[in-house]
Amino acid sequence: MSSHREAPEISKDPVADSTDVYAFVSPDKPDTVTLIANYIPLQEPAGGPNFYEFGDDVLYEIHVDNDGDAVADITYQFRFETKLTTPDSFLYNTGPISSLHDPNWNSKQFYKVTRVERHGSHVLAGKLACPPCNVGILSTPDYEAKLGRHAVHSLAHGIKVFAGQRAEEFYVDLGSIFDLGNLRPLQQFNVFAKAHGLKSAPGVNASNRLNVHSIAIQVPISHLTRHGHPTIGVWTSASRQRARVHADAETEHFVSGPFTQVSRLGNPLFNEVIVPLGDKDRWNRTRPGSDKHFAKYVKHPELAGLLPVLYPGAFPHLAALDKARTARADLEAILLTGIPSGIIKGFTNFTGKVQADMLRLNTSIPPTPASSKKFSILGLIGGDPAGFPNGRRVTDDVVTIELRAIAGATVPLVDPKYVVDAVVPDVTDGLTGTSVKNKPLTAFPYLGVPYDGYHNPS
Amino acid sequence: MSRRSVLRSAAGASVAGIAVTALAGTAGPAFAAATRPAAPAARGEATEATDTGPAEQVVVHLRDARSGEIDVFRGTSHTRVRDPELAARLVRASR
Repeated sequence: MSSHREAPEISKDPVADSTDVYAFVSPDKPDTVTLIANYIPLQEPAGGPNFYEFGDDVLYEIHVDNDGDAVADITYQFRFETKLTTPDSFLYNTGPISSLHDPNWNSKQFYKVTRVERHGSHVLAGKLACPPCNVGILSTPDYEAKLGRHAVHSLAHGIKVFAGQRAEEFYVDLGSIFDLGNLRPLQQFNVFAKAHGLKSAPGVNASNRLNVHSIAIQVPISHLTRHGHPTIGVWTSASRQRARVHADAETEHFVSGPFTQVSRLGNPLFNEVIVPLGDKDRWNRTRPGSDKHFAKYVKHPELAGLLPVLYPGAFPHLAALDKARTARADLEAILLTGIPSGIIKGFTNFTGKVQADMLRLNTSIPPTPASSKKFSILGLIGGDPAGFPNGRRVTDDVVTIELRAIAGATVPLVDPKYVVDAVVPDVTDGLTGTSVKNKPLTAFPYLGVPYDGYHNPS
Repeated sequence: MSRRSVLRSAAGASVAGIAVTALAGTAGPAFAAATRPAAPAARGEATEATDTGPAEQVVVHLRDARSGEIDVFRGTSHTRVRDPELAARLVRASR
């Protein structure tokens, strides 16, 4: 998945597991940027009685680099605190929850947002209420009207924040992709699927009707960019205090020491698909500024070598490229530095020579209206410069974009003589935004209404 | 009722008591002399910007008994100590 359970250590710590990062110029408020970091993957909506919540002991951060050194110039920190209304009840709620302060809601979460800059920090707001999880029609009736919408908090200077459960909008055919690299639409060519007699089939969205926990902040562009430098690099991280003494019969857990990073995420699928298993945990512990050590995996991605093996005869030019050990400068640009000007007419999101996995957003490129013919879920490779890898919008088909890029679609950016294999325009896991039941909202926080536990699963 | 406050009040002194006593009882001035503050966090590093209230418990991690390298975690701080004598005492105490 984008970054769900993508590394051995963090897969065992879902509360701190970042799953997706989005960064885009807000379509309905184009003088602002919306930054979203999702955590706690693959939430089964009926997962009571201890429904999902952020970690009180986790430091969640969204970082922005605005001068190209891959070091955060601005960081938004989010700290959560859980308060029990009725500690002697085992129930999440003791009646219908009709407001964010309803006494029937037993386990409430509140949070504080702090902006950290080079020369100091200040708290933007505290005691902000999260919405409850969408338990079901009896417990959380009229969820969005009574709860979700009220959890959008407007702060000073045009900033909005939201933190809480949302519908998973990332779509991926997980069950097929991790079954020996099978892509259902192309499985008639997959060496293993062919042996099973499988024919071309539509994709299956493995993350449909599941929820995540989202941290979203909408900020005026002027709060994030440096004069004359409209491109920002964005990533999220989760950190835990270094020492933890587990409880025994006499004591409770105790944590101590400075926070240390346990999870991070910039570009979708970077740690998931690019970084090998033996290095994934280390990658999660390091900062983007050290990513030159991981650049070798981008230059020679394992998947580019696997595709011609899994789909014999379908990728002859990619196979030749891989055999020649040609470094993938196209992928280095897309994932590690941004695309310099002069490569794609009228477009750049280059942040400098420092190689770092950051989601790069050129904030001077206006959002493409969803109703426009120019809008494409394939983003830049679909001719829409407002989409991935220029930041990432909620509906962007990042799986297909990255699959095609790795398959060679973007090699001509750096080698105009390279001929892209004929099959590449058909490479996809066969999903689009229509594969997601609860659609994104048209306004902040953009992610859809979380699925409720009464109807999901059904 | 805050979950943090529940944990804090329930935690008591058992774990911390051992660690703090170990430090206070054996380290003395030598410990103080050997102590150096943890390096300040670089820009962009994960440091919580706000105070977390009084730190009542301390966790000591003997990294290397031979060199006497000891990590001390208190609140949100980390101090690296090099004190072979204290390290030896901790090892003896743990047997």
